[in-house]
Amino acid sequence: MLKEGMDLIDAHFKNEGVSRRDAMKMFGAGGAAMLMGSGVATEATAGSSAVKAKILIVGGGLAGMSTAALFTNSLDNPDITVLEPTATSTSYQPGQTLVGAGIWDPSDVTYQRDDFVPSGVTLIKEKAVEFDPENNTVKTSGGKTLKYDYMVIAAGLKLDYARIQGLGLEGTITSRGDDSAVRKVIGKNGITSIYFGNGAADTWTEMQKFIADAKSGKKVKGIFTHPNTPIKCGGAPKKIMYLTDARLREAGARDNAELTFYPNGSKMFGVKEYHDAIVNQFEARDMKWNYRHNLIGVDPVKKVATFNRHWKEKGPWDEDLEEYSVVMKAETVEKEYDFLHVTPPMKAAEEIANSPVGSAKGWVPVKKETLQHVKYPNVYALGDIAAVPMGKTGGSARKQYKVVAENIISMMNGKEPTAQYAGYTVCPLITSIGTVMLAEFNWTKKPTPSFPLDPTQERWIWWLLKVYALKPMTQYGMLSGRA
Amino acid sequence: MKKTTVVLLSIATLFGLNGCGTDTPSSSVAKTYSKTPAEVYTQSCHKCHGEKAEGLTEKKTPPMNDRQAGELELDLYDVKNDGINQSSGTEHDKMAHNMQKLLEKGFDYDPKAMAQYIEKNFYKMPPKTAPAAEAPAAH
Repeated sequence: MLKEGMDLIDAHFKNEGVSRRDAMKMFGAGGAAMLMGSGVATEATAGSSAVKAKILIVGGGLAGMSTAALFTNSLDNPDITVLEPTATSTSYQPGQTLVGAGIWDPSDVTYQRDDFVPSGVTLIKEKAVEFDPENNTVKTSGGKTLKYDYMVIAAGLKLDYARIQGLGLEGTITSRGDDSAVRKVIGKNGITSIYFGNGAADTWTEMQKFIADAKSGKKVKGIFTHPNTPIKCGGAPKKIMYLTDARLREAGARDNAELTFYPNGSKMFGVKEYHDAIVNQFEARDMKWNYRHNLIGVDPVKKVATFNRHWKEKGPWDEDLEEYSVVMKAETVEKEYDFLHVTPPMKAAEEIANSPVGSAKGWVPVKKETLQHVKYPNVYALGDIAAVPMGKTGGSARKQYKVVAENIISMMNGKEPTAQYAGYTVCPLITSIGTVMLAEFNWTKKPTPSFPLDPTQERWIWWLLKVYALKPMTQYGMLSGRA
Repeated sequence: MKKTTVVLLSIATLFGLNGCGTDTPSSSVAKTYSKTPAEVYTQSCHKCHGEKAEGLTEKKTPPMNDRQAGELELDLYDVKNDGINQSSGTEHDKMAHNMQKLLEKGFDYDPKAMAQYIEKNFYKMPPKTAPAAEAPAAH
């Protein structure tokens, strides 16, 4: 696996006309060693403990497996079990946008879970189906009852395509795993979605047809949606639109295509500086948008998307508020499309949402700084399943897993959990083939750039960061608990 | 060659500046509020959400005494920011509008402090539906 990773990195360097020898010279100590984390000055630490405790990690995706690795690196007597049923759970999801636009191959983002299980960690290829946090036990899909001293919930989220009427779907899927039913309708006839692995591959197939139609002189319409639920990688619905725009321009067919973004919300980004930058980028590319539209149905035969359009109107005077109140209005509108990119509604798995560790909205409620469960002090959650504002990105998980490990190790040593997550997240917003706006921010809702550069500018160097550096950093730095 | 230099520098910088274990909660100056959560609640919130945060049927307002602070804070955050995801919108369209008006009137608060105030004074533990041994199945 290591060799394969290094070969991948070498291939990227080679494309740039540089040998590994040159790359190693630039690093001094050696590029490979640097990327593997051993040469990194700020290696992740989480304290240490000689105390023995049973740690159960529910979910072995990026968040769960990185946490397992950091515990393994930090504890003298690690006793760690990871529950993960999906064989490709450690795949590189941020790359699915690039697969959808034909820049990467599906094999570039597919990684086997079993290659990333830290040494000494017990992997159970099942999922948790019942939670009994009063008695510190979890029941698995295979009927095992597991007892724990500390539990980390990193179970990810579910894609709920079935909530969209007209697709004939039932149940939910995850970004990896069995998607056979969904793939029969999504990834065909102009309906696409990069949010699951095979869907990303099929998006590129459908996008090429769309571009060919535009090139042949046909006037075509592309629609890109964003649902009314929290979603993972909030930028992806726009990224795939930017890349469709770029591919159409490359083909000299942009004038024949109308591209429109239909989000449920009424802004492009929660941080005003980035919102303004995105609006300018949309205008410069003649990309249209229409706020307050939630996709509720699709007719795959007629190629019509149905939206719930909703808006506020001035209501009667409210004496308590001492202002006019607002009333909500809504109507159903239909839009024809040739190419439709669906960002599905997303939710927590039912068996977690409806359990004592879940909540009314499903996400696992945690104190948003320490990531400790609001009711059960020996339970933590991170990643997509955690009820944390703006937290559903790999960039957030990269900050969170260290906080979770450090806090649990503090508790094992009889101390208070004091490590805090500040809400940092990053959205490398791909704005064309060759440019990215590196939107970094936290709960202060202000840009928090890591570099002394205007963060609202699209830059080629962030494209290089996104396409060449972030994947090795994630797959070989974070998943080994080192970065 | 030049391209690669930039890539490598980017990696190095990212590790260097961003790779540390934990962040301090906020790099910006802490915001100060002119009213305490108790003052905001007793002067404003209670009119529509009830004296005990129980929610008022005639005002069609939701209860706020059924969640613990960590959970409630997320809703207050959503209300104050008119949504917490890039383009998902908010579940609190009406209150997000009202909140802007209340902020103009000086009823500003820190979502965390307000959530803690509401939990401390009004939180009612939901009744247990089953003995612990049967709890998972009962949900």
